[in-house]
Amino acid sequence: MLLEIIDGTEGGGLVVIKDSVNCPGRCLLKSCVNAALRRKESVHVLGFDVSEEELRAGLDGEAAKSLVFHNGYTDPLCWTGMGTGQLTALHFSAQEIRARISQSRGPEPVTLAVDSLSWVLRHNPTASVCQSLQELRRDGLLKRILVLLHSDLHQHGMVDSVCHLASTVVTVAPFSGLGGVVGETAPQGIAMTTQRIKSGKVLQEEECFTVGQDLSVQVYGRPSQPGLTEPEPEDSQADPAANLTFNLRLSEHERQAKDNLALPFAFSQEKKSALLRPRAGGGQILYEPDAADDFDQEDPDDDLDV
Amino acid sequence: MFPELNSILNTSPDHFPRGEFTLVSDRQADASFLIHHFLSFYLRAGCKVCFLGLVQSFSHYSAVSQRLGVNLAQAKEKGQLVFLEGLKETLSILLRENRSSDTDTLSFLSRSPCTDLRGLFGFVRGCVRGEQGPWGPPVLIVDDLSVMLSLGVSADALLDFSHYCQATVCSELQGNVVMLTRGEDEEGEDDEDLGRLLTGLAHSCHLALRVRGLATGYCKDIHGEVELCWRGGRTSVNFSGLTDHRRVYQYKIQDKGVSFFARGTSSAVL
Repeated sequence: MLLEIIDGTEGGGLVVIKDSVNCPGRCLLKSCVNAALRRKESVHVLGFDVSEEELRAGLDGEAAKSLVFHNGYTDPLCWTGMGTGQLTALHFSAQEIRARISQSRGPEPVTLAVDSLSWVLRHNPTASVCQSLQELRRDGLLKRILVLLHSDLHQHGMVDSVCHLASTVVTVAPFSGLGGVVGETAPQGIAMTTQRIKSGKVLQEEECFTVGQDLSVQVYGRPSQPGLTEPEPEDSQADPAANLTFNLRLSEHERQAKDNLALPFAFSQEKKSALLRPRAGGGQILYEPDAADDFDQEDPDDDLDV
Repeated sequence: MFPELNSILNTSPDHFPRGEFTLVSDRQADASFLIHHFLSFYLRAGCKVCFLGLVQSFSHYSAVSQRLGVNLAQAKEKGQLVFLEGLKETLSILLRENRSSDTDTLSFLSRSPCTDLRGLFGFVRGCVRGEQGPWGPPVLIVDDLSVMLSLGVSADALLDFSHYCQATVCSELQGNVVMLTRGEDEEGEDDEDLGRLLTGLAHSCHLALRVRGLATGYCKDIHGEVELCWRGGRTSVNFSGLTDHRRVYQYKIQDKGVSFFARGTSSAVL
């Protein structure tokens, strides 16, 4: 499913890439941008987190020329007053973004990438950000909106409300297992993708991935986790006693043989007499009570009480 | 400057990566030895250093640097080092003494609620963009940022400040930024603002050095662990090559330096 998102065949809409400190998701965003550029789509980036130079690093040289970078990195709060007309994080609205995009737009539909929405969310009320995103999504101008969100920087409610708008949410987490696929190095991370398709169906998939130096994404398929495997279909009519390698019932003959068998530790009359028979050379106990022996018939163990 | 740390980070005063943001944080240990390392390192490398000393006085840093073979007073005289005596100035602002115009840098502290650190950024900007003289790329060192939280500044304002410093020093002027942030205190209390600040800075840094005490408690021969975490700046396109992505060393602070060794290989243990 991750490859579909990178190839842009997942159906457009709002795609949220949720990352955390332990596993940065910028490489995935850049992979999506790079793939879109290779398909000759027009891509606009609202850059708050990293500089243009850093964002462009690693993108395909030729294709990257068509990328339009809206600089919200240098002066997002208008402190220096250097970049007049630059993007600011203070007024994030659908109209402003639309105006910026239409300034330098070809005829083809636009892919918009926001790196990252966390900057915007820190300086704007969540409700208005969600409203602007929704407005942009409904707009015919944009084909896709890719949003990077640092989920550990915000309260859960904020993250959830943004994810609620999204048609696809990719949650990136570090790979914790040992070794991935035999013969390969461990994958970089696990991407949990939740996609809501138009019919209302929700698809979920978990994949391990690695982003290469050329921003190509390699997917290793589902990680095998014992807790997440699907339960095997259970046959309710199966007889648990069928196909046993031993017998659960006894025939009449077997029962008789069983009843006749003397158990090894049962004390039978035979055994008793065998044990009591005096043997030649065996010891004898001679006991002659003397006067001091006060033998009490009623309490033979009287002498034990000291 | 600790040569062992230089070899771990693969840097030297003659050759070091530019445009990088280094985050130093600590938890149940003291990471200020790393600040002293970076201060002496960049002074030796001939960089123009802007130092925001918010937790100690100049004489403290000067005394420590003397031991590491760097003369701060001389560097200050020559104009290589610009030192903000945050410890004294914050006090005079909070006590409302000396309300002269030149304390504009930290005047945000007297405003309530404190909105932004524009004044402090203005000071940094003036320092790094001003007359460079014969010095190399500008370097900003902050010791430490989290003390501002205790002075009533919000985590968001600090994140904005660090973003502007990074955009100006690292991206525009190709210099370096080193910031120290204290982690949770001994009781392990979860401070929400502090957590946000650490997370926000960790998202934007290129190299994170996390110092922490040993989980097993105090030890005479091993003073703690330092975790190095490269987050892929411009030097590497992404964070592939994960084997080199995160490394942990144990350290022992000695009289005139620090020795680093792999976990469990302290000479006292072997």
